[in-house]
Order: sequence, then structure tokens, then C-alpha cells
Amino acid sequence: MKLTKEPGSARSGIDDWYWQRLSAVMLALLLPLPFVLIISVYSGGVDQLGLLDLLDHFVSRLLHTLLILALIVHAYMGLKVIFEDYVQQIGWRVTLIAGMLVVMSGFGLWWLAIIWAWGG
Amino acid sequence: MTDVIKLSVFRYDPEKDDKPFMQSYEVAVTKPGMKLLDALNYIKWHIDGTLTYRRSCGEGVCGSDGLNINGVNGLACITPIEGLKQPIHVRPLPSMHVIRDLVVDMNHFFDQYRQIQPWMQTTTPTPEHERLQSPEGRKMLDGQYECVLCGCCTTACPSWWWNGDRFLGPAALLQANRWIVDSRDELTGKRLDQIEDAFRLYRCHQIMNCMEACPKDLNPTAAIDSIKRKLLARKS
Ligand code: SF4
Ligand code: SF4
Ligand code: FES
Repeated sequence: MKLTKEPGSARSGIDDWYWQRLSAVMLALLLPLPFVLIISVYSGGVDQLGLLDLLDHFVSRLLHTLLILALIVHAYMGLKVIFEDYVQQIGWRVTLIAGMLVVMSGFGLWWLAIIWAWGG
Repeated sequence: MTDVIKLSVFRYDPEKDDKPFMQSYEVAVTKPGMKLLDALNYIKWHIDGTLTYRRSCGEGVCGSDGLNINGVNGLACITPIEGLKQPIHVRPLPSMHVIRDLVVDMNHFFDQYRQIQPWMQTTTPTPEHERLQSPEGRKMLDGQYECVLCGCCTTACPSWWWNGDRFLGPAALLQANRWIVDSRDELTGKRLDQIEDAFRLYRCHQIMNCMEACPKDLNPTAAIDSIKRKLLARKS
């Protein structure tokens, strides 16, 4: 193995680790909810209007927001680690991670706009 | 147990060979409870003096004969022949540059060990006698100090294979923890600063190959987790 000049510690890293775990816990708690909804729709427990009422409710919108944020944070952190593991060239690594950040933030904003019906 | 041992040993002499090859040997059983190192010694002393490998203590203390044995890393001197599927495939530690046959370049590995500054660091004045440690404090070092730096864990770690230039690897991190938990060391904060890094520390994805590979039954994964918990506690 090639000896590299030691760049020292970036004195960061715990935040990534923390957010990855926090988002995992949030996902574990929140992700079952949409499945409960789907099952209750298919089993006939909730009709279309009931579903809309449920989704419209302030608390559901809040939970929905948290879910989508946790999903994006978790996916971002996970993919970032994969890029760091397997993309060896720093230039490519930074480009891919930055590109991913832009795409995911765009997706998140679009989703939030739907949840909160921004723009009517 | 049969009275001959069949081995297939990795050979490579960069000055002569274009590429590495596996060479077969048959070794007589010379004593009960023979270890793999005994078989290698037999080859070197009676069959083929050109076979090159490291060894010193012969009893699992010096850490110099870390090898890949039937696909699993271990110390040849404490690996019993009995129980090994034959022919026994003996290869150098994975992912390492081979200098010759079973001897690999450990420079980078020891350089990473140096990076965690494996010596006691203090700020208080040196006492007249030694720095004392309570039995409880001493107990904290169990499972850490026994490491013989054989490299079996680090060279079995996939994260180190991909990012070994920056990820310190399980052996160096176990040693980092050994100094972090030492009650006499006074620069814990600086030590934590030096390894808090997405690559140096957090590249460990808890694959636990290191723990399986360690011939001294140590658990580097647990040590790494303990460092992560300390960092979390410091931040919280
Ligand atoms: S637990 Fe961490 S250090 Fe050990 S083999 Fe897995 S990734 Fe490497
Ligand atoms: S932790 Fe175990 S495998 Fe790793 S270097 Fe130390 S003794 Fe060898
Ligand atoms: S020869 Fe010393 S550990 Fe095996």
C-alpha cells in the first residue's frame, strides 16, 4: 500500500454519524404509518374522503414532513458513505455528493410543496 | 490425523517471478499438537530454504506471523494443524504489498499505529514515584492491551481495503481506545480530536470481520464503538 501524506483529522464526522442514526430512528417510527394508511384504504376501512381528511390534518402534515425529511437525510447520508467508500477520486466524489445533494433537496422541496399545498 | 500434512503455499519473489504462484509441499507430522508454524519451519529447514516468512516468538506474543490460512487470518504459531482442511492454503495477509512469499510490507500499518500516539501523555508534573492506577482503572485496559499488532484484523477489514490510506483500521483504533480509557493518560480530549473524522474513525461500518479475525480474541469493533460513544458524550 502506498504511504500517503497524513492529512490529519477533519475534527468532524460525529454529526454525520448522529444524523444517520437519528434519521434511522425516525424512519423506524414513521415509515409504518403510510403502510397502515394503505392497508386501511385497501381493506375498505377508510374511503377517499376520509383519506383526504386524514392527510389534510395538521398533525398528519407535520408527521409527513418529518417522514420526508428523515427519508432524505437518511438516503443522503447512506449514499454519501457509499460514494466515499467506492469513488476514490476526490473530484468525482465531491461532484457526485454535491449533485446528489441538489437532486435530493429539490425532490424534498417539491414534496413539501405538495404536503403543505404551497401555491394553492 | 494423517502422518503427512499437505500445504499449498503462496510464493512470490519479485526479482525472479513474473507473478505469484502456489507451491505444494508435504510435511511429516513431527509431534503431536503441531502448529502451522511448525510445518512452515519444517519446509524451510528440511525441504526448501528459500521459503520466506516472518516469525519470532512462536507462541502468539510477537505478532509477526499473521497469515491468511485457508482464507482466514491468524497467527501461524498458535493455529493447530488439526482441524485445518488440507491442503492448507497459506497466503500473505490480504490487501498487503508482498515483499517476498509470505512477508508483506507493514510500514503503513505501523505508521497508522504511530498516528494514534501510543504512549502515555500527561500535563500534570511527573510524580516522584510512578503514576498510580487503581485496580478498577487497570481493569479498563483488559481486552485492549493484549493486542500484539499482528494486523490480522486490519487486513481483514473491507473498509480498510477501500480506504486504508485514511481509515486507521481496527488495530490502530483499538490501540487508540487503549490510551483513551487509560486512567493515567491526561490528553484524552486531544486523542479524541485526532480521530474524530469521517475517514479516520467513522469508516468503520461494523462489519465485524476484525473481531472474527483476531487471534487474541479481542474485539476491535467494541473498542471503536466505545470511542464513538465517548465522542457522542462529549458533544451532547
Ligand atoms: S467492524 Fe469496523 S474495523 Fe472491524 S472489520 Fe468491520 S469495518 Fe473494519
Ligand atoms: S486486535 Fe487482534 S488481530 Fe488486531 S492487531 Fe491486535 S492482536 Fe492482531
Ligand atoms: S511467532 Fe510470534 S506471534 Fe507467532
